This record gives sequence, structure tokens and C-alpha cells, in this order.
Amino acid sequence: MTTSKRDRLRDTAIPWLLPAAILLGWQAAVSAGLVSNRFMPAPLDVVRAGWEAGRTGELWTNLGVSTLRALAGFVVGGGIGFALGLANGLSRLSERLTDTSVQMVRNVPHLSLIPLVILWFGIGEEAKLFLVALGVFFPIYANTLHGIRSVDPGLMEMGRVYGMSRTELFTRVVLPGALPSIFVGLRYALGIMWLTLIVAETISASSGLGYMAMQAREFMLVDVVVLAILIYAALGKLADALTRQLERACLAWNPAYRSA
Amino acid sequence: MLLDAVRREAFSDPVAEARQTGSSAPARQPAESGRRGIAVTVRDLHKSFDGHPVIEGLNLFLPAGGFTAVVGRSGCGKSTLLRLILGLETPTGGRIDLEGPEGSPRRSEPPKRIMFQEPRLLPWARVVDNVAVGLSGQGTRAERRERALAALAEVGLSDKAGQWPATLSGGQRQRVALARALVSRPGLLALDEPLGALDALTRIGMQDLIERIWRAQGFTALLVTHDVAEAVALADRILVVEAGRIALDLRVDVPRPRRRGDPDLARLEGRILDHLLGGSETPA
Repeated sequence: MTTSKRDRLRDTAIPWLLPAAILLGWQAAVSAGLVSNRFMPAPLDVVRAGWEAGRTGELWTNLGVSTLRALAGFVVGGGIGFALGLANGLSRLSERLTDTSVQMVRNVPHLSLIPLVILWFGIGEEAKLFLVALGVFFPIYANTLHGIRSVDPGLMEMGRVYGMSRTELFTRVVLPGALPSIFVGLRYALGIMWLTLIVAETISASSGLGYMAMQAREFMLVDVVVLAILIYAALGKLADALTRQLERACLAWNPAYRSA
Repeated sequence: MLLDAVRREAFSDPVAEARQTGSSAPARQPAESGRRGIAVTVRDLHKSFDGHPVIEGLNLFLPAGGFTAVVGRSGCGKSTLLRLILGLETPTGGRIDLEGPEGSPRRSEPPKRIMFQEPRLLPWARVVDNVAVGLSGQGTRAERRERALAALAEVGLSDKAGQWPATLSGGQRQRVALARALVSRPGLLALDEPLGALDALTRIGMQDLIERIWRAQGFTALLVTHDVAEAVALADRILVVEAGRIALDLRVDVPRPRRRGDPDLARLEGRILDHLLGGSETPA
């Protein structure tokens, strides 16, 4: 108990040692002229570029636009995936009707649709929304379905014997039982969400983070390109951390998810 | 250890204490039997799975409030019989009649409940909410909670009400499952090898608990087990099932509370074991 504070400090510090060392080494390498800053800007240059972009407001506008697109696509695709996963998990008929088709479409890499999507929607918002929604749909769908399928049949039988209504059976047994699997789908989906959006914005957009990076490339602003990449990393980490928090709150009953 | 815990709990709880003293006379029939128990009549029951007969022309009458144990080798159809009586399986032939307490209208009949071999608790519900599952569709939330807490007190787990099932031991989980089965005041409690997965000491503690609550509440109890000693210790009637039929029907006329290691019980246990090991198609 007495050393717990120091232990905790050490525990939080350890994961950051490696990134810090890399940053230092990187800065040293560029400062010493080992690496040309035309190809790889020093960390301090990146920070300066970030400061500059933040001051002019360009960074915040693009960040906001990208976040909004990501969330909109996530809500639409995730919502449909969740609903269809539920429907197919609960109804044999619905599953037989749709699952084969979904599995076929799933095997098409959704980014390969970009040329087609540009033809359909141009480079407007619909194109990005469509691609993100499509990418997010599959992991949410597949994991919701799997979660419902893997609910312990013994618990289902218990619920029926103990007189639960169909609604109660769903809200008290099926849904909580499927939740761990749904969370796995959620985390996959968040990764795919950023990936899809960045690719779509890099290829066809007139705003957003991907667009900002492509513009910077045109003008050889390597520091801004690296800045954009680092922001992607941070956004991915943020989404993951938020999901972890949510998992911990919703799955507190499960010893595997309880915080150490 | 557990035994002590159970006893201590019983005497610190005034309701349980009253029940305990109320039924402490070695009467074989429980106090409330006429009012609470469901009588079961089984006539010419048949059940087969994919053409393989499991139950073949079984006849049986279980009086209200009795404690009957069904023993037999694995695969003899004893669990199927229990599931048929509970309505978890539909018979291939014959009929099963459940008769509630006299004069009670159909809707207010006491429910029938089952305890499985595994506790089957909802891992995402607190202990008290798991017990309240036994009251699905009854009363308000507050009423359900109150009755669930009372049932938890009866099995000696009041202090665990707010915990997750994952934090309990195997024996404690089975006691929660027992509280869940009893909270709705059932007329018939079916026990499908509920103690099979517990260690010997915990099992004895659970047996005492089940006996005590049965004597206090007077439901009809039907215990399926492969542990002959357990059947002999708990039941007032033992049915040996073989090849889908009742091969042996024995009364256990040993007064309660029964002492473990009682020579009468040991003799009875020996007789049943002899029958099980020697009387079937593969002699020992």
C-alpha cells in the first residue's frame, strides 16, 4: 500500500518510454543532419506546423469536417449493421433471406468501390458517408450476429422456465449476452471508420484532414503531411480509449473487463 | 465450515428461526403441505428421441408436499422424466397431470420451478437481481427486490446481494440459484442433480439447507441424482429408474432431522446400490 503511488506512476510511465525515445532519437537525427528535413521533418518542425495550422484555424476546420463525416458514416452504417445483426440473430427467416447476400458483398474490398462511388456521387459528402457506412457495417453486423448466436442456451432455457416474456428474454438475456461480442465489432468498426475516411478524403475531397495532407504534398510541406499522420494516430487512439471506457462501464460484471 | 455458516444464518434470522422451531418435531409431513404442494400424476408416459425410446410406459403419482428422489444410472431417463414433468419436453405418449392446492383457481396456482446442475445465473445481473428473476412479471420492482432480499436471507447470503455472480464460490452460486427457485413460493421444485458439481462438504451443507427449506415451505420436491447417499439423506421416497421404467419404489421411514451415517440409511443405500450394480444388464 505504501509504495502504491510510486508503482502506479511507474505503470503509467512505462508505455510512454518507447515513443519518447523514438521522438528524441528522431529529433537528434534530423538536427545532426543525418536525415534531410525535406523527407522527414524534425518533431519540433511538426509541432510548429501544428501550431501554425491551429492558429489560422485551418486545422480545426478540417478536423471538425473529418470528425463529422466519420461519425455520420459510423451512425448510419453501424445502425444498419446492428439492426440487421439483431434481426438475423433472432429470426431464422431473416437470416436465410439476407445472410448469404451480405457475406457475398462482404468479400468485396469496400475501397475498391471508390471509382464507382465517385461516378455516382462525385466528390460530395455522400461519397464519403457511403464508403464509411459500408466499411463500418460489416464488423458491426457480423459481431452482433455472432454475439446473439453464442448466448448460452442454458440461460435462455432458464429465462423461459422462469416465465420471462419475449421482451424480457431479449433485454435481460440475449442483449447483455451479446454485448461483449458487439464491443469487439465496435472496435473493429472504429478502426475501419478512420481508415476509410482518410483514403476517401485523400482521393476525392475539398476539405478534411486527408485533403489537408494532400494539399501539403502539392506544396512539399512535409511537416504538415507528418502532422496529419500523427493526428490520425491520435484520433485512432482516442476512439480506442473511449471504447475501452465504455466496455469497462457496460461489462463490469465480466472479470475479464474489470480494471486492474 | 459452510454448514456452520448456514446454521448460524438460520438462527440469526427470526423468520427462519420461527420456521425451524415450528417444524422441529420429527413429523414427516411438512407443516404447509396441504396448502402449497402440487400433486403430480403420470400415466403411461412415453418419450423417444429420434426413434430411441427413453421413457417406456412409466406410471407415477407424487403426492403434494412429498420429497421424492429419482436415482438411476446415467442415460436411464431420469433427467428426461424430470424435464417432462416440468414441461421442458413434450411427451411422445401418455399424460402428465399437475394438480395444485385444493380449491385454488387456475391462475393463482403456485408455480413450478427447477434448479439445474449449473447455477445458470445471469452473469450481468447483481445477485439480488438474479433472485428477482424468479418473480418475473410479478408485482412492482420494489416488491420484487424486497422478496428477493428475503429469499437471499433464507439461504444465508444477505451480504452478497449487491455482488456480481462471478465473485461467488460454486456453492454460493448454487445457493443463489436456490433462492431464485424459492422466491416465488413454488408448489413444485424439481432439482436436476443440483449439487453434482460441488465439493463434498459444500454438498452436505446444501442438502441440509434444501431439507430445512422444504420442511418449512411444504412444496413438492423432486430430486434427480446419481448420488444414492444424497437421495437417502433427503427423500422420503426413492424411485430407481431403469430402462425408462420404475424398477424400485422405496419408502424412507427414517425420522428427520436425519443423522449422517445412520445405520438404517446405510442399509437402504446399500440395498439400492446392490440393485443398481447387480440388477441391470451388466452385472458387477
